Amino acid sequence: MQIMELHSTAQTTPDLALEKEMAALIVTALNLDIAPEAIVPEEPLYGDKLGIDSIDILEIALVVSKQYGVQMKADSEDNAHIFGSLRALTAYVGERRVK
Amino acid sequence: MNSLPLFSEIDPDANFAHRHGAWISRGQFHAAVLTLAAALPERARVLNMCHDRYWFAVSLFAAIARGSLTVLPNSAAPEHLAAVAAEQTDLLVLGDQDAPPVAHLPYFRVDTVAAPPAPAGTPIPMIPFDQRVACVYTSGTTGTPTPHYKTFGRLRLAVLAGAERLWHAAGAPCSVVGTSPIRHMYGLEASVLLPLFAGGRLSAQIPFFPLDIAASLAEVPAPRLLAITPFHLRKLLEADIALPPVAAILSATAPLSRELAREAEHRLGCPVIEIYGSTETGQLAMRAPCRDDVWQCLGATTLETHEGETWAHGPAYPTPQMLNDMIALLSPTTFRLLDRKANMVNVAGKRSSLSFLNATLAALPGVEDAVFCVPPGGTDTDVGRLAAFVVAPTLDRKTILTGLRAHLDPVFLPRPIVFVPALPRDGNGKILARTLSALIDQHLGGRKRP
Repeated sequence: MQIMELHSTAQTTPDLALEKEMAALIVTALNLDIAPEAIVPEEPLYGDKLGIDSIDILEIALVVSKQYGVQMKADSEDNAHIFGSLRALTAYVGERRVK
Repeated sequence: MNSLPLFSEIDPDANFAHRHGAWISRGQFHAAVLTLAAALPERARVLNMCHDRYWFAVSLFAAIARGSLTVLPNSAAPEHLAAVAAEQTDLLVLGDQDAPPVAHLPYFRVDTVAAPPAPAGTPIPMIPFDQRVACVYTSGTTGTPTPHYKTFGRLRLAVLAGAERLWHAAGAPCSVVGTSPIRHMYGLEASVLLPLFAGGRLSAQIPFFPLDIAASLAEVPAPRLLAITPFHLRKLLEADIALPPVAAILSATAPLSRELAREAEHRLGCPVIEIYGSTETGQLAMRAPCRDDVWQCLGATTLETHEGETWAHGPAYPTPQMLNDMIALLSPTTFRLLDRKANMVNVAGKRSSLSFLNATLAALPGVEDAVFCVPPGGTDTDVGRLAAFVVAPTLDRKTILTGLRAHLDPVFLPRPIVFVPALPRDGNGKILARTLSALIDQHLGGRKRP
């Protein structure tokens, strides 16, 4: 259910400012060889397109916890969805951020 | 040939595995193994793809009881699985997931076996010391997956020798929480076989994020051993979250810096023990990096230098094993690690050779010349991604990454790729170290590393 809600939030009211900020954060944290704008918000973060692997996911989780006070957890099956795209990750962080 | 009982002699009522909030006793584990063993079809080889560490252990020991070799691929990448399946014919996949984890291979689900439980009093199978029970893979310096066969008696010897040190450091046998993949040698030895053979408690969870690690530790009783990699340990400390008391931290797969080891000891208030080993040798030596940089061989293993190479001997090895590192022997059982061999790189605990990486990159259609390098700023204890200089006027970054991905583990994909018009090679066709240094200074000097 939570996943469904996340997706509907992501699709109706994307927080474009936060999305842009997070794209820049990810590019800097991972030393990605691309411009933040090159991350297409709807496309998968993990895998072939950006070359992000599980080591990077841990790095992103750390940056997100430092910047927004959101701690990631893998106990549900949500991670594939949360890291499914920049937009989904932004929605997840936007709902839970404490700073 | 001598044989050993499949299970260690431990009180059957003792808690053994913690899974989804409940305990499974030694006796229940033994019954699950014997029940599955009776239900498994006759096969020479099985591919153990279980997600859950408990079902992984049940499947491994059921296969051992049946005399089947368990094949452990080092990644779930379709290319790797296909290469493994081509070499290890007639594989049956064992798993605990709904969907068959490997296409085109027969699948047997292990956690929903509809078979009568093994009757009480079923004798414990005796396993020949020399029975090949596991096949683990290295990516090899040539990039071709190379199998390494492990026998029951030798695996058990190495794990018990390690347990002696670890339980001593922790004060007693521990609940083991491990973050490493269970199909890799470190995860197999430290998080599966250590609790199994040496009277510890196994956790079914394989936690990933710092909060997950904290939760997995909190689920199991003290004393707790955290088996982790340097990279994961650093991220756990950086997350700065509250953790339950830990009795000892175990680290392997890449060198642990003294600074990180000290920080971990300080923050968690427990000793840090480091393993020296490899897929080929399994765990070979240990040290306490906060106190001493000298490694001590485990069990009856001894080392010897012969024509510039160091070889490990002992009952844990069927034949002497050559080590992949430059070593200064202080005695037959103690040594200092000098360096890894010049051509070898370690990224996030995975090993490859620069010559293989260079050859793979240079072989991509459209690549005229290319060289990988280790960018500045990283220590050899952090995850240092590799960079690459590439001469490929018609290609872009994405095409190169896609091309490489088919041949390399993703950790070795270069980040960044620097396109250059030409690579200065000397008369022998070599890129001199100082030429490469100059290229690195020019293109990567000011770069922040993750």
